[in-house]
Amino acid sequence: MTTTALTGSRKQTQAIGRPNPLLAVLVWELRRFRASRLFWIQALCFFGLLLCVLWFEREPDTFSFHTFSAFVAGTSAWGLVELLPFDLLVLLVFLLPFVNADGVMRDLQRRTHELLMTTALPTQAYVWGRYLMGLLVSLGLALLLLVAILGTGLLLHLTITDYPAPAIGGVLMLWVGMVVPATILLSSVSFALGTLLPRQSTLVKIVILVAWFIGALILPSELRDNPTAPPAWYSAWDPTSAVTARGIIFQDRVAFTSVPPTSEAQLQQAMLTIENRLTDIGTWLVPHLVLAGLSLVLVVLAAFAFQRFRSALNG
Amino acid sequence: MELTIENLGKRYGSIWALRQLSLAATPGMLGLVGPNGAGKTTLMRMIATLLEPTEGTIRWNGQDIRTHGDALRQVLGYLPQEFGIYREFSGRQFLRYLAAMKGLPKSIAHQRVDEVIELVNLEAVADRRLPTYSGGMKQRIGIAQALLNDPELLIVDEPTAGLDPAERVRFRTLLSSLTSNRVIILSTHIISDVEAVASRLVILQAGQMLADTSPEALLTSAVGKVWSVTTDQATATRLQAAYQVSMMVNQMNGVALHLISATRPHEAAVVIDPSLEEAYLLVTGQPAVLV
Repeated sequence: MTTTALTGSRKQTQAIGRPNPLLAVLVWELRRFRASRLFWIQALCFFGLLLCVLWFEREPDTFSFHTFSAFVAGTSAWGLVELLPFDLLVLLVFLLPFVNADGVMRDLQRRTHELLMTTALPTQAYVWGRYLMGLLVSLGLALLLLVAILGTGLLLHLTITDYPAPAIGGVLMLWVGMVVPATILLSSVSFALGTLLPRQSTLVKIVILVAWFIGALILPSELRDNPTAPPAWYSAWDPTSAVTARGIIFQDRVAFTSVPPTSEAQLQQAMLTIENRLTDIGTWLVPHLVLAGLSLVLVVLAAFAFQRFRSALNG
Repeated sequence: MELTIENLGKRYGSIWALRQLSLAATPGMLGLVGPNGAGKTTLMRMIATLLEPTEGTIRWNGQDIRTHGDALRQVLGYLPQEFGIYREFSGRQFLRYLAAMKGLPKSIAHQRVDEVIELVNLEAVADRRLPTYSGGMKQRIGIAQALLNDPELLIVDEPTAGLDPAERVRFRTLLSSLTSNRVIILSTHIISDVEAVASRLVILQAGQMLADTSPEALLTSAVGKVWSVTTDQATATRLQAAYQVSMMVNQMNGVALHLISATRPHEAAVVIDPSLEEAYLLVTGQPAVLV
């Protein structure tokens, strides 16, 4: 340590002309994430896992009529409706609470909280910066999912005879309707609850994951053997998209089996037509986006409830 | 530039960590000393806007920091007793990050970070990742971050913990060089740290202020009350039980003791000049940490 006196002008160094604090938090948080080797390893593992699931689930459904048979392509709209809510989205969901719930809690655990809370950083910039960073990372993971679907679909099309190329419009529509709202919803709920209940952040993660697994895997399996379509309101407002998917699959199956084919070519043609169409998007797309939007209200509440004076957090 | 504290108190459940504390501080160094659990850290965290007082007020330049916390934080430098780091960053990146959080524009921040790195002598390791730092290096990063915004109010809580003796001396010299135009509150239980640099001492114990004085006045108050005696082991043990002992050394000719007492504790005892630790011991009735 030297004993050189401080030379900087005090006025200059005391936040005169402060740059946008929210942007500063966001940029530095992203730099921190970028510098984290662990995050990149996790993202790479996630991407690899997605590729494996898509490869092994390339024909999630098959139909046979007499001696003819046809398969549903995993990267077609129909195939994705079967895969997204029950496999791919569940994998993504497993990561989201861990990315988001500790946005504020991590500083408390690492004891960086006191360094930050004694700076002139506005509270709202701190909270929103952490949230937006978590959301951006989550959307980045969701984008990775889209890339995996399109990449695997293209690879399967090039390597397997009769495997259709992914219909980009349909894939995008399902991604926007099912993955993006779920990502926003879970990111927001995880962050908001983690911020409101910082001491229960582990419990928050567990509850969110368990609730999602029940909604995405257990409840739809109860509906699977039901010969009728699930209730329309449930299909529309189900945040996991699993029941929504059951409804779509039900309609697709009815459409496909309503006209028995007379040749294998006719069967494949019927499959191609049906597997890339999306029925009744309007009935569930808007509710899903509304749910995502509503989750932002929770974040607003958490941001306003966050206090710099936190006697309860002085562990 | 004035920090005013009036009737400050902090209660955790039914226990008062600090009660009825009043003081005013102007530019210069105020040494806050007291045994562990005296309420030093609680007081500093309240001043740093990290804890809400249960009662009383803290004013910075006449403004209550409960309602004008932002104004205080603009001019505050704070080094907590324990603090965390971002393991992903190098020392320089960490300081640039905190400079951005403190609102320093990028052009100034880079220059400022280089300055404080030089100030704490970390140039050689500034670009190494933080997890590779020793405890002393980490502590110096903490000191550097507290100085980033050239604070008017600098609060340092046990800053020399983890520093080796040479670093401690350098840190004290650095703090001395900063006292002219800012209020510095240095909390420690190491008396020699404040003895070297503070012009004012506030002694806390069990949440109460025992003394608000200068090191010289504290020493004067102990004159004639510190005794030295060399005796046999049995007498030493008896004296130890009866009086406050500030030093006890086994020697070839017996046991040498420094005793604190208003009256002569033993016929062979002679009055000696008190040290600041002994004067502190006289006030608190508890052993100081001698380093």
